[in-house]
Amino acid sequence: MPVKWLLYWQPNAGQVSSQTLVDVMKSIESINGVRLGRWQVTASNHRPIQRDQSMPLPPEAARELLGLTFSEVPSKHYFVLRGEHMVVETHSNMQNIMEKLQLYRNRLTIFFEGYQYQLGDFQVKAGRAVLAHSENLRGIILEVEYVPVSSIEQTRVLLQEFVDLVQEVVAGQNMLGRFIHLEPNYSDYNLQDQYGWQHTALQYITLMVYFMSSQRS
Amino acid sequence: MECVVQGILETQYVDALEVLLQGLCGGIRETLKVHEFYLKSGSNMGAVNSEVTLCCSLSGPQPVWTVRHVGGPMRGAASEQLPALVRSVFEADISNSGLRFMYALGYKLDYEILRTGFSFCFQKVVPITVKVSCICRLPKLHAIDEAVPVTPTLHLVEVFAPASADNYAEVVAAISSFAEFLAPLLHLSKPGAFTGVVATASTAASSLISRAALK
Repeated sequence: MPVKWLLYWQPNAGQVSSQTLVDVMKSIESINGVRLGRWQVTASNHRPIQRDQSMPLPPEAARELLGLTFSEVPSKHYFVLRGEHMVVETHSNMQNIMEKLQLYRNRLTIFFEGYQYQLGDFQVKAGRAVLAHSENLRGIILEVEYVPVSSIEQTRVLLQEFVDLVQEVVAGQNMLGRFIHLEPNYSDYNLQDQYGWQHTALQYITLMVYFMSSQRS
Repeated sequence: MECVVQGILETQYVDALEVLLQGLCGGIRETLKVHEFYLKSGSNMGAVNSEVTLCCSLSGPQPVWTVRHVGGPMRGAASEQLPALVRSVFEADISNSGLRFMYALGYKLDYEILRTGFSFCFQKVVPITVKVSCICRLPKLHAIDEAVPVTPTLHLVEVFAPASADNYAEVVAAISSFAEFLAPLLHLSKPGAFTGVVATASTAASSLISRAALK
């Protein structure tokens, strides 16, 4: 699977707005990015259900369960346990099982959604992160991938150069800010150099957590 | 949802059942070797007590992990009249860290077994699967190499098929008519309704084995 980098827009001042996404898409189209279609990633944060509030939860039970679904692979669902450093890939049916088990309660859901572009061997997804139900904008994101190679280390320089190019194009549109790559430590989660959907799940969860914590601060 | 019936067969007649199933199916026999973990939710964890099974199939080159949740049987007077049990079942493949994940959700190991045997799949009205298995207990934690049959003289035979709220009556009928083919060797009934072994098994098995030898 091609290596993906997930980046978020950091404005020089103030907040991000929906116009930022429009400007980013214009920038990509200005370098002949071919729009392919829409995409969506659904990320959810769950907390354990404590049957009796006066009694503690089992100490080994994860206090937070993060779930992820990609529109590109609807048959799969991903879970991330940050405290346990675990990324798990399951069939999408696991969501039905979790509903039956009634162990965890959904606390909040974020949609990452936007348009996908092709630029030669690179694919770019530009999108926004919004809270489900309220449509409250949490951030603007860019996912870049270099299609021919699956090794994280082998693509590092190439992807960095491509991101630098995008930064220049965006700056040329008079956008004040830059894209920041928030790379998780894959080895902490026992994920290898060969890139896969579990790596992507971890990147989106890391960004979700970042958006939620920056909102609080 | 799934419809299911099951029965027991004396181990000495398993070869005969295999001949019969091969004849009925004409398809591929699949080897079963599954390490099954029966898990119970931790105290105070979740809105209700829950149980779930984690299965690790060891019959292929790589282990395949699956989470299986079996819901309660369909209730009501009409369902009691049905010759097969209809119940909700959800299955989901999970990556290799499945057991660690389930423990991290607060589950505890209740017990574990090793299931060995074979299965056949038949395409009738719906795909019907027959599993013939020997259930083995593990004397030590996860020690599948030391597995010991719980009932060495008996095998468990399960016949099941996927169903939906719209077609379960049709699926039950298909399973029921299929069970008649196996009737000379074993009784199939709803899980929990023990019907024992059949008196004709010995004669039927001899006949099947001798016919198979002639081919």
